[in-house]
This record gives sequence, structure tokens and C-alpha cells, in this order.
Amino acid sequence: MALYDRQDELPIPPKGTEKRNTVCQYCNVGCGYEVYTWPVGTVGGKAPSDNAFGIDLSAPQPPLQGLAYTESMHSVVTNRDGRRYHVVIVPTKDSAINLQGDHSSRGGSNAQTLFSESRGTQERLKYPLLRVGDDFHAITWDEALRLLGRVIKGVHGRYGPDELTAKAADHGGANGGFANIYAVGRLFFTGLGMKYVAMHNRPAYNSEVWGSRDRGVHELHYTAEDARLCDTLVLWGANSYETSTVFYTEHMQPNFQGGTQSEKREVFDDGEPVIPTRLVVVDPRRTSTLTILEAIDPSRTLHLRPNLGTDYVLANAVARVIWERGWQDQEMIDTRTDAATFEDYQEKSLQLGKPLDELLGEAEEITGVPRAQIEQAAEWIAAPKEGGFRNRTLNIYEKGMIWNYKNYDTIAALVQMEVLAGNIGRPGTGCGRQGGHQESYVRPPYPGGRPPPNVDKYLLDGNGKFYWVIANNPYLSTPNNQLFRKRIHERTLALTSFLSILDESAGEPSSMDELADRVLQGVEQTGGLFMVVQDIYQTEVARDAHLVLPAACWGEIDMTSVNCNSRLLRLYEKFMDPPGEAIADWDIMARTGRQLAELYEAEGDGESAQRFAGMEWQSDEDVFLAGGQEFESNEVPADMEASLHPFNYKGVDYAMLRELGQQGIQTPIRRDPQSGELVGTKRRYTERFGTESGLFEWYGTDAWPGFPAEVQKYLEGDKAERYPFWMTTGRNQTIWQSAYHQRHNPEKMLTVPLPYVELHPDDADRLSIESGDMVSLFNEEGNGTFVAYVTEAARPGMVFAIQYHPGGTSNGMVSPYTDPKTTIPWYKGARVAVRRLEGTIGSVKRTTSFRSQIDFS
Amino acid sequence: MKVISRRSVLKAGVAGAVFVALGPSFAQEYPEDYPLTVIGNANDLEVGQAVYFTYPDGQSQGILVKLGQEALAGVGPERDIVAYSAACTHMGCGVQFKQGRFVCPCHNSMFDPAVNGQVYQGLATTYLPQIGLALDEGTGDLSAAFVEGVIWGRVDNVLPQD
Repeated sequence: MALYDRQDELPIPPKGTEKRNTVCQYCNVGCGYEVYTWPVGTVGGKAPSDNAFGIDLSAPQPPLQGLAYTESMHSVVTNRDGRRYHVVIVPTKDSAINLQGDHSSRGGSNAQTLFSESRGTQERLKYPLLRVGDDFHAITWDEALRLLGRVIKGVHGRYGPDELTAKAADHGGANGGFANIYAVGRLFFTGLGMKYVAMHNRPAYNSEVWGSRDRGVHELHYTAEDARLCDTLVLWGANSYETSTVFYTEHMQPNFQGGTQSEKREVFDDGEPVIPTRLVVVDPRRTSTLTILEAIDPSRTLHLRPNLGTDYVLANAVARVIWERGWQDQEMIDTRTDAATFEDYQEKSLQLGKPLDELLGEAEEITGVPRAQIEQAAEWIAAPKEGGFRNRTLNIYEKGMIWNYKNYDTIAALVQMEVLAGNIGRPGTGCGRQGGHQESYVRPPYPGGRPPPNVDKYLLDGNGKFYWVIANNPYLSTPNNQLFRKRIHERTLALTSFLSILDESAGEPSSMDELADRVLQGVEQTGGLFMVVQDIYQTEVARDAHLVLPAACWGEIDMTSVNCNSRLLRLYEKFMDPPGEAIADWDIMARTGRQLAELYEAEGDGESAQRFAGMEWQSDEDVFLAGGQEFESNEVPADMEASLHPFNYKGVDYAMLRELGQQGIQTPIRRDPQSGELVGTKRRYTERFGTESGLFEWYGTDAWPGFPAEVQKYLEGDKAERYPFWMTTGRNQTIWQSAYHQRHNPEKMLTVPLPYVELHPDDADRLSIESGDMVSLFNEEGNGTFVAYVTEAARPGMVFAIQYHPGGTSNGMVSPYTDPKTTIPWYKGARVAVRRLEGTIGSVKRTTSFRSQIDFS
Repeated sequence: MKVISRRSVLKAGVAGAVFVALGPSFAQEYPEDYPLTVIGNANDLEVGQAVYFTYPDGQSQGILVKLGQEALAGVGPERDIVAYSAACTHMGCGVQFKQGRFVCPCHNSMFDPAVNGQVYQGLATTYLPQIGLALDEGTGDLSAAFVEGVIWGRVDNVLPQD
């Protein structure tokens, strides 16, 4: 009956079972979890004295307060000792992040992602794989590293570092962590001097928020508590209920519902009023994030639905109203911001030379947001409370902003609007990123310049002879995806074909050294590309790889990371072995470095070998500690915290993190000059901003230039008729990123079986589309098929497609435009046509719910 | 741990009533250990109105609904009668039946009763456990026969009774 195998009983960890601390592998929130592992064959009892939970399991648990242990929180794994172990991963109740043991649908299924010989995760990569024609052969690490080393050294020697390219994870959580991220930097930057390296989710080596950092504001400066203390919460291009779930349910929503008033009274100034909390959502869609709170009190929610790509015009217009009404924080402007650059901001962003009516008229025209809503937003963000107390606004933004048109100006406009209103550095304020994944950036300096080169374009143009993809899947995630996939396929196939031509005089290569020589001949003669994919599964991009390297992941190493909403550094303890021969990413980088050093030394080139010195790490902690040495000295007093790297953890070791457990410590961490103790930083920029002078530096944004040519072409002439819809993209509550784990999980894939597109009922009616129908989205860049959801969430005339899914990606329709200032794409805006496919896929209609995901009434 | 084990028995005989299987009149497969409990009558059900009951014991609330549309594993002439555990699979709060679906008031998880209790929005990870129903065609009595999926807050659906 059930659509997938269910259980009606769960194994009980016996008393005495070791409990380990970890943090969810997924999103920015970083909920705390505890892990129990014990050998199969023993079970605990229901009496409190007979189980590791220490609670009475003979009676049902009370809702909310009780232990949340569900079917998805258990698995059985096989370790390298050949024995099978139960693993139970339940939300902890001693975390300040996921209060009461709250958890999301993603974190609640952490256990289902573990490698198991008896589940879908059996698909994990176990051995290095070598392409031979259309097949993959298992090989040993020794052979894989020999080939890898010879090819890298050969390309580097003949052409220099610019023909070596890569796309690598730079994040926390999941398959990132400080050790892995640091080791990648050591090999690519220190060892090889590579600058054609792109980050995991974008085509270059850049920040998505230079517009904020250049002002002196790192994007992760607030603390989770600020969401409990703010008077106004602004969620700008952030669908927090679905992408920062427990941050929303445990901190934002309780504030809106009045549940944090006593906390406010403790923190607020004497006599400062505690007012009913207001929510501003800026998003073209009606998201669940909006509708949940709207259903509670619509008079305290405001929804702005700007035209795609126009958010910086909107932010500047709100700022102008703040200025015009005298709601700016003059004291902050005078004492904590740079007077010289403020003039530029006044002229170009606030456009003080232009009458207010004219400016708001233009803003309304460009953004589509009515003037009254712009004024209302300004009031809720900046108007002082009764008694003249400054309002406290926390403004959280995410992909709707960072992946918007004109990335640099968009982010700058938003953070400047909030600094104008004095909303940084006080409890209940901030203007920062929500985050997608967690963070753990520590690397030697990037050898390239700014703006960085677009690595996608470089490869598409036929440059680069070697491409190493680490823990990401550009065949789904990179913009202008269809072209990218086709071209990389052609270039890798050119080399594969060359290698497949039997050299009659020499026969097949008899060693990895011979094969490496053939590879080097091949890339020289064919314009082909040698591709290495390092991941935990055989992903879409791995289909075209020549060498596939199996990596260990979360739970299989002792990992460290910080969450986004409070920069909380914790240890994510190892609790099982990696499958087969899989090893940590840092270990792959270290072994490659040692292989290269050996090859250089064999030629008597000690100088080149020296570039890889110091990569003889033996443990996860060794790499973490080496990474810590990259940071500047952290012996600074509290009022100088702004001078530190946001993740500076110098002096912290695993023993300290083990001791701290879920409590963790908030970065940047200082060694206090007075006490000599390591001290965390709760909230940043309370005294100074992160610039040389400590003053916030303003920037005058560009005048609205219209849409970029890559998109404007669709708005003119015949094309305007042919491609009548705007398309924006985003995520879904149920699946994480490319669903690299969830695609192996039946209940998740039954829920989201195919990539989908949301259409407004009016548009669907016109096109005779019903929920569950299949549609094709297409434009001149690419196409894809999607299952239709007809929903009021979509704005009329604008469809929303899930960004990517194992069944396909909407990035195929995204233009190649990037912001010239940052090389960040505009993922979230494209023009498309919609065509209903004849017939239906009946099984999807039967086994997938198409009910409204935004109607909670 | 055990995957739900089943045995083929004519529970009809056990309960002294005539049951209709979902299709040809085979003996129905039911898991062991579960009680067979009358929880309502098909003739009394109205579309959109939930009937609350407890199963497999007095501490576990269930919801019986007639959807007015065919449901996976639905019983009755329209195959639209289904029953579920009412405990949200996220943190155990009681879900509410509103506008044809289940909504949890605690964290807004939503489940589709027509699609095996699929969680189509929210924080819950697993589908709402569906309760197997047997219909006595003669009287219209509906009996709960087993639960597919662990009821929230339990390590065993069938707990020892005092």
C-alpha cells in the first residue's frame, strides 16, 4: 500500500552507546544533532536504564517536548572492519540554534544519506575510476595519482598554470569544511599558481557580496538572536521557510508571534517600546515565508513584488524616502561613515538632485512596485518608534539578491540603505546574507585579479587543457547550462576519441606514464580537455570525466564549519568510515601535492617540489590547524574585531571544540590581549566597520541602464512575442541542491519526481495547462521539460522553475550575462516560452501531490 | 528492527464479518500484532468531515476522512476513504484536516491524504503513517487493521498495554 518501504518499529540504542556531536550537513542554519552508533545484533530496552537516550520508551513521547526519533533518522552502515552498525541521528536539545530539537525535512533525514550497502546510497563512489572509451575501470589510488600527477605536471610544464582549470567547493557543511577548503587552496594556489579556478556555484573566483564587503561589512555579521529582537524583519530575495527553515520557525516566526517580547525588554534601552513585529518580504513570488505570517496578521506584513533585476533601484528609492522623511541615523552617518564618499552616495544612489516625486515615479516605472509600498517599506524599516527610539530592523537577503542583475550595485544599494537607517551593529539589526550552505573559507591568497576571469567562458572558448571539478556539479548548476554541457562534452570527447584510436605501432598504453603522455599529445592535437571529477557520487558531470576520484563526506571525517546565522564554529564528529577507498578531499589534494613533489624531485627540480611542501598532513585536525595559520594575528581587543577575517579561528584546536560541543564558539575568535583567552564575537561592527579607517565607505550606484543585451534581445520585436514569460528560479523545501543525496531516497523523489515550474492560474488557463501536465520551457539559450504546478505563488506573466534537479535544470535557459564588476551571473532572470506537451505522465499525477504549498489556512 | 511483516489471513473470519478486498476477493494481507478495531461507519461519513479515533491503542490519535476524490489505498465505492495517524511526523503535534488535506499547526507541515500522506510542504520528513482499513460491505463498518510507518513518538507502533 505505502508508496515506499515503511517500518513500524525502530531500533533502540543500548545503554552505554557512545554519543557523538554533529551539525546538520545541509543549510546555513546548522542545527545541532547527536549521533548514536552501535553494532548490529544488540538493541537497548524501553526502560530508561536500558537505553542510551535514558528515557522511558514504553510510553509515547509528548509532542514537541519529547524525543524526535523517526524512521528517517536511522540507518545501518558497514564500516571498514566489515561489521555492520546501527546509526541513529536525532536533533539535539542543547543547541541555541534549533531550540527544542527542531529540525527540517532535510536534516531529519541525515541518516538516510549515509552510505549503506542496502540502500540507494549504495551508489556512492568506492574506487578511483579511469575512463576507457565509454566505460569506467576501477583503478588503485597509486595509479590514479600517478596519472593525475603526470598530466598536471605536463600541462603546467608545457603551457604554464593558465591551462590548468578547476571548479571547486569553497563552502562549509556537506562536503566542505575548513580542512578540505584549505587543502584545495594549498594545491591550486600555492602549489600550482592557478587562477582559472571557479567556485562551486558560479563561473569565477569571486565574492557574491563585494558590494557589501567593500563598504566594510562582511555579510555574516548579525547573530541568530537578532531575528528574535528586531522590530522589523526584512527578507529580501530570501525564502527562509524553505531554505533557512529552522532559523525561520525557531527565531523569526516566534518574534512575529510576540513570543520574544521578554527578551526584547531585557536588551532594549530604558523606556524603549516593544512594538508588534512587522515583516517585509521582497520577492516576485508569494512564498510560504510570506503566507505563513500573513495568515497570522496580514496588517503586519508587506509584500513588494519587484520586476526581475530591478531591486537596487527599489532599495535606493526606499533609502531616498528614509532620507526625505528625516529617518536616517544622522549620528551613525556622522561618526561611523566616511564623509567623502557619502557625497557620491547622495548624488548617485539617493539622487538628491532629483525631486522626490520624479524619483519615485521613475522607481515605480522601473520596479513595478507602487509608490505607496515603497513609502510603507521605508517607514517600517526606519521610522523611529514612540519616544524617538530608533527602530530595529534586521534585513536578511539571499539568492534573490546575490544572483540578481548588477550584482555589485544590488548588494551595495541594500547594505547602504540599512546603514543609512542605522541598522547595523545593534541588537535586533543587521543587513546580511541568510546563506545557502554553511561556511568554512580559509585559503592562501588567490593569485588572480579582480574582477576574476570567467572560467566557464574560458573553457567554452577552447582554452584550458585540464579541468578538475571538486564537489560540485556544473552540468546542473552553472548558468547558460546547455551550451556549457554541450561544449564540455565535445571537448572531453575529442580527447576520449583520440585516446581510443589504437596506435598500432605502440598498442594500448602500458602504464600510467604512457597514458599521461598520450593525454598530453591528445590535448595538444585535438583542442580536447582532460577532465577529473572528484565527488561522492557519479554525478552528471562525471559522465564525461576521464578520471573519477571518490571522496569521503560528512560523518566520515572530523569536520569543522561555521553556520551563517551566527558564525558558530563547531566540530562535526566522524561516526563512520567512508565507503570503499574513498578518502577526504583534503587527503586527495595532499596526495596529489606529494605526487607532484616526487615527480619534480625525480627530475632534480627541488624548487618546484618545494611549492608543495607542508602537505604531509596526517589527520583532519592537522589541516584545520594549518589553515588557522593563514589568518592574521587575532590578538586584538574587542573593539578591533572588525579588523579580523570573519572566520578567524587561530588558536582553536579540536580538543577545545570537543569540549564546547554544541555550544561552539562564534568567529572571528580573538585572543584577548588582557586575559590571553580565546573569545568569540557575538555580533560584529558594534564599534568599527571592516575598513582600514573603521568607517563605512559609501558608493554611488549606477543609473538604471536597462536590461543587459543578453536579455534585452528577448524584449524586442518578434522575440518579445515568441518568449512572452519572465522566468525566475529557486529552491524547494524537500531537496537540497542538486538532490545528490535525495535522488537516492524514494519518498523525496516521489514528492519532487521531476523538475517543476510554477505558473499563475491566469497564465495556465490561457495555455490550457493543469497541475501535473508536462511543459517545455525554451528560449535561444536552451530548453528543458518540467512538470507544471499551477499556483498563486507565481506572479502573472512570470514562471518560477526549480533551479536544478536530477531530471534537469532551468539554468539551461539562463543567459551568459555576468556583472562586469564581479563576474557574478544573473541566474534569476530570463525570458522563456512555455509549451504544453501533448499527453501526460500519469504515474506522476497519481503519486505526487500538487496541492498549494503556500496556502496554510 | 523489523520491516512490517505480513501474514495472509482472512481477518473477516476472525472478526465475524464480511470484508471486501481492494479488487478481487483474495484473502487480505495484514501485518501481525495489530488489533482490528472498528473506528467508524462508511455510511456516516461526510466529505470533508474528519472522524477522530484512537488506534492501535488509546494513546494514539487517528483521523478518518472521506475525501470525495479517489485516494491511494482508499476504500469504499469511491475509494476515497482513508485513515492516518494524526501525529505529525515532525514533532508529534496533532495535524488538522482542513480543505482536503492535513496541516500541522506547530510548524506548518502539510500532508496529502490522497497520496499516501505525502509531506508536500514543511518540516516533516516522512509521510504521515497511513492506517490500513477494512470495510464491512454489509454494515459499512470501517476497521483499522494496521499502521504503515512509525507513529511519531514511538519506537514500536504496538506498545505493551498495561
